[in-house]
Amino acid sequence: MNEQVTFKLNGKDVSVPKGWTVMEAARRENVSIPHFCWHPGLKIAGVCRFCMVEVVGRPKLEIACNLPVTEGLEINTKTDVVKDAHKWGLEFHLINHPLDCPICDQAGECKLQDYYMEVGKYKSQMTRPKILKPKALDVGSELVLDTERCILCSRCVRFEEEVTKTNALGIFSRGDRSIIGTYNEEKLKHNYQENQVDICPVGAFTSKRFRFKQRVWFLTQKESICPGCSTGCRISVHAKPQERRYFRIKPVLDKEVNGYWMCDIGRRTFEHHNLENRLDSASLVKRGNGELAALAEQLEASSPRDIALLVSAQYLNEEYQSFFEFFVKELGVQKVYQWREPTEKRDDFDNILLRGDRNANTQGLMGTLETFGLSRNARNEFDDCLKSKSKVVIALCPEITSGFPSLGTHLTQLAEMPFVSLWTCLIEATEIKGLENLIPMKSFFEKKGTTLNYNKVERKLESPYPSAVFGALDVSEAVSALRSEMRKMLGKD
Amino acid sequence: MPAAKHKIVTAFEGIPQSRSLETYLKHGGYQNLKKALSMKPDALVDLVKASGLRGRGGAGFPTGLKWSFIPKDSKERYLVCNNDEGEPGTFKDRYILELSPHMLLEGMIITAYAIQSKKGYVYTRCEFYEEIEWLNQAIDEAYETGYLGENIIGSGFSFNLDHYIGAGAYVCGEETGMLSSLEGKKGYPKLKPPFPAVAGYLGKPTIINNTETLATIPWIIEHGAEAFRKFGTEKSPGTKLFCVSGPVKNPGVFERPLGYPLQKLIYEDAGGLIDGKELKAVIPGGASSPVLNKEDVMTMKLDFESLAGAGSMLGSGAVIVIPHDVNIFDVFKVTADFFHHESCGQCTPCREGTGWIANILQGIEENKGSPADFERIYKIATQLMGRTICALSDAAAMPARGFVNKFRDELNAYIETKRNTR
Repeated sequence: MNEQVTFKLNGKDVSVPKGWTVMEAARRENVSIPHFCWHPGLKIAGVCRFCMVEVVGRPKLEIACNLPVTEGLEINTKTDVVKDAHKWGLEFHLINHPLDCPICDQAGECKLQDYYMEVGKYKSQMTRPKILKPKALDVGSELVLDTERCILCSRCVRFEEEVTKTNALGIFSRGDRSIIGTYNEEKLKHNYQENQVDICPVGAFTSKRFRFKQRVWFLTQKESICPGCSTGCRISVHAKPQERRYFRIKPVLDKEVNGYWMCDIGRRTFEHHNLENRLDSASLVKRGNGELAALAEQLEASSPRDIALLVSAQYLNEEYQSFFEFFVKELGVQKVYQWREPTEKRDDFDNILLRGDRNANTQGLMGTLETFGLSRNARNEFDDCLKSKSKVVIALCPEITSGFPSLGTHLTQLAEMPFVSLWTCLIEATEIKGLENLIPMKSFFEKKGTTLNYNKVERKLESPYPSAVFGALDVSEAVSALRSEMRKMLGKD
Repeated sequence: MPAAKHKIVTAFEGIPQSRSLETYLKHGGYQNLKKALSMKPDALVDLVKASGLRGRGGAGFPTGLKWSFIPKDSKERYLVCNNDEGEPGTFKDRYILELSPHMLLEGMIITAYAIQSKKGYVYTRCEFYEEIEWLNQAIDEAYETGYLGENIIGSGFSFNLDHYIGAGAYVCGEETGMLSSLEGKKGYPKLKPPFPAVAGYLGKPTIINNTETLATIPWIIEHGAEAFRKFGTEKSPGTKLFCVSGPVKNPGVFERPLGYPLQKLIYEDAGGLIDGKELKAVIPGGASSPVLNKEDVMTMKLDFESLAGAGSMLGSGAVIVIPHDVNIFDVFKVTADFFHHESCGQCTPCREGTGWIANILQGIEENKGSPADFERIYKIATQLMGRTICALSDAAAMPARGFVNKFRDELNAYIETKRNTR
């Protein structure tokens, strides 16, 4: 057992593990202590001086973030002197802030705004001209920096020092002329830039991809798992379901998997989910919309030996289960091929989060194959499928194309096979001549189920968005529809 | 050491070629080091504790007590001499280097032995062009004659010393800002705890002492704690260097016992004001100490307690004399501009507050002042006190409050005069 220390927080006895700070203890107890520079994923800087608390028996207020809990300590966070310190602490942060909230992307999720309501509500005493600083600086492929909005909390500097270890950002100049910047005006190039937008408590860092696209208070948030690689970061997907549009992805704390962060490649995985990129049943109308019936006919007419399953590792455990249940158990299909990018470096790792295996559920697929006694098939690749002379191929298409440069070639090659039923959510599939049988699929954020990450950590997708397109199915739904098509056919016979 | 009343760190005043090793040795130089090396390190710490010596850089922290904070089980320890004399009005440490850089070195080597440090640094203000050379020369001489380096004068104790030159930031005179700078980083003061005696330079236990403090050590070794306590007051023993500047007949550095009357320093030692000027105010301990009005000056004793009792501080001993024909507003603005310019910007209250005060004063100077301005400055300054990582914020706030406290009427009248001439 960890040694516990007991102290008084606003008169209440609280026990926490030895070594905790007052800030950590207060957070656990849901006692809000306003802060800007402290971030649970970064080292303590103690520079914003906002998290002042009263220590009974000591002459000065102290900062909660760097104050270790000791036995018998008495802390007050709501006394008049503390409230006054918080009010002034906020005012110092705001005297030179441009207050351009109406045009600031951070509005609605800005800590300056939140704290003004929580501990501020004062009449500004600033009567002099403010300090002007450079604005709208292009500091990286994903980032725009406004040094005037910046409150110099140094979170971004510490992030580059501690997480990306690039030391890409620094504070230049001195005093109230200080500005955040990069050395020699170099631009940030790494894959973790948008974390800066998340940890920046104000509107200094904004996302090139997201800025001016949407006011954040109109967005719905639902938790999901990042489909970008086999790390499987826990994420929150921000969307307007009523407009059937996804806008951005943010990381959600998962101490076992991704901590506080996620990568920029992962953040881009919402783009293909949007309407204009999606295969829907409407785009198939001109073909007669009888895709599943056509597939049922083909299956009916073929021997299981002539049927092949081509499976990407981007579907959920439950989908694999029903897929193999039907094709392998019920129909007796034995030919299974993994559909992966041939150039992938599966074991690569950037030492932060991103893995070479750009499929969210490789471990889930492997596990299911094993359950069905198909482990040997795990070595069968795309080319083996092409060479298999199968007459009918059912292909579960990958939906994340960023790690799949060969996908276009693969689709063209598939189109040359006798009959391919492509289960996909990508509109690109309609542009390939010869791909006749397309089944529109739901995307990752629109499904319920589980994944296993590279380390076999299981995570649930529990709150799916309604599909952005009409008529899209998940694999289990498609399988049951197919099963009933086949029953119908048998009935006719 | 040459024996003279009240002369400890200025013992070499008036002695020709006082900086040379030869002169220093001729007057008993490095004999105290020999004596110290024959003692137990802990005995030295106890001796300095008993002497009651307090830090001469401004804060007045008891030196021996500071030394005793080094964790007993630590192996790698550092000694840093704070020679970054940047407090406006202060020019005492450079005087020690001008008179006798070897006295500082001897003090440092003894201190290093007392705290068992094998490596030390002198961090010198970059504008001290000549003093840097003088100290460099002294260090070279000390290495050549075996007072520095390995196995110092056959004692088995080794101590190496480097001379590091700052780059002009006031905040690097703050001890942890100095450590950041020494480490090659931007001179941001470090968050405390941990304190430098526990985790300082490169995260290792480090003692940082002011030049004057270190230069006092050999005398204490030679004459003992009791002799030192014969000077000064009960709580502020010893002598102190006072730097008198302003329109006085005889400005300069004076070594006087602590508790010395301020009036005597100005009117007798410094010869009083020139050209029939009248004394209006005195800043007694460098720009960060709150101003005294004439009434205060006449009764003030120069020691830590007396000045603190009057709401000011002894600070670095920089006595700045302000005559009747200088506008207090101008002194206030110069001071506020200085702290605005020198705030490192790390902590929000200091970064914004020092700028805000300077900004308001700028407005007053541009005829845009209002009677509420000085009250606002007073309130802002109050919020700067005790709220930041280092004391620069307090150093800016205390004089600001001091000017408003002591000269409210004159300052408000200044706003009116400006308005009437608009």
